Amino acid sequence: MHLDAQLDAAPRVSAVGRALPKNYLDQESLIAALRGLWAKRHFNVERLEDLHRAVQVSGRHLALPLEGYAGLDTFARCNDAWIDAARELGEAALRDGLARAGLSPVDVDHLFFVTVTGIATPSIDARLANRLRMKPSLKRTPIFGLGCVAGAAGTARATDYLRAYPGEVAVVLSVELCSLTLQREDLSVPNIVASGLFGDGAAAVVLEGGARGAARAPRGPRVLATRSVFYPDTERVMGWDVVDSGFKVVLSARVPEIVREHVGGDVDGFLGEHGLARRDIRHWIAHTGGPKVLQAFEGALELPEDALARSWRSLRDVGNLSSASVLFVLGDLLDGADARAGDLGLMIAMGPGFCSEIVLLAW
Amino acid sequence: MTHREREVAREIRRLAREDLGLEWDGADGEELAGRLDSLALLSLVVAVEDRYRVKIGEEEAATTRSLADLARLVARKAAAPAKEEAP
Repeated sequence: MHLDAQLDAAPRVSAVGRALPKNYLDQESLIAALRGLWAKRHFNVERLEDLHRAVQVSGRHLALPLEGYAGLDTFARCNDAWIDAARELGEAALRDGLARAGLSPVDVDHLFFVTVTGIATPSIDARLANRLRMKPSLKRTPIFGLGCVAGAAGTARATDYLRAYPGEVAVVLSVELCSLTLQREDLSVPNIVASGLFGDGAAAVVLEGGARGAARAPRGPRVLATRSVFYPDTERVMGWDVVDSGFKVVLSARVPEIVREHVGGDVDGFLGEHGLARRDIRHWIAHTGGPKVLQAFEGALELPEDALARSWRSLRDVGNLSSASVLFVLGDLLDGADARAGDLGLMIAMGPGFCSEIVLLAW
Repeated sequence: MTHREREVAREIRRLAREDLGLEWDGADGEELAGRLDSLALLSLVVAVEDRYRVKIGEEEAATTRSLADLARLVARKAAAPAKEEAP
């Protein structure tokens, strides 16, 4: 395998920090909270409740206590709440990631901040640079709009950077507070599905350049290669329509269809360029898009029954955390003892564009 | 199709186009699932339930293949709401 020569020089994932808001509600409690809203507009509320149950999420962590959402009746109020909560949760994830990696905030050379659930200028990374007293030469790259793919895509862009600066440390911080984007007056089926599926959370991937040596983080995988795939003319598959009240979800049932149509070929082509095939991959780290998306991944990639067990578990426990989801699954894998030296893993996520990002990992 | 069923079919087409913004002008016998993705189809069923104050069960929905089937079902349910919806 000609990847061996690349291995030592490749950037390494040193740790994945994670943080969830302390407010947790099980799915039935969330359904009860939304029932009154739905009943105003819909005749058959039971059908909408069934939609929330069908996403196979047992509960979600929320940025605010339930009563805190009542006053969020404008985009400005939602976004102000988002800035406060994103700063808190982002800090917790960032500190957790750095502590796991044995690094301090001043060790970070480049901070990538990804989100699609709120906006801020200065961006959250700047506010955290102040709060954590990060170095004045810190390079910051806030990325808005990649949606669910941004955890994988941010990791890929950070490794691109570390190939140019192999002695440096980069962190990809994802903060997604989906609950603060809820459009209470939008009682369309896509919005109701989204309100049943998406949760809040933050994750921080700490990456170190290849010149920093293997001894510092012996368990984290190297990022051997990455691949972006853009699907032309699919702009209405997923995204936001920005309206006066905030972000109104665009969600098409074509997402699982696109996975089924493209992912097998995309993965095979990417692996083939590196002399690999699907059978060489031991760990699959798939975005927890929803039950139909995970089933589509399993079918398209002809995966064994338990290959996506971590993704299914994450979906059930915390819901779809947008860009943070795939990083939670990666963090779960790093926490366990399953990955051994010589193993290969593939992280894959999809998002608005429509597009996918594939990241090849080697332990 | 009866006159009433044709009226309902026309209203379902209007709901799809005007209320839901679906690019669909379904012929009466056209397979719904062949032209609308699952979210769009579900959105249409929810809109029809709201418009006619009827509930369409899962089994009924499963046997409703065409616009004409849906119009017949809705016309029948809407004509006897008290009987259909009684506990």
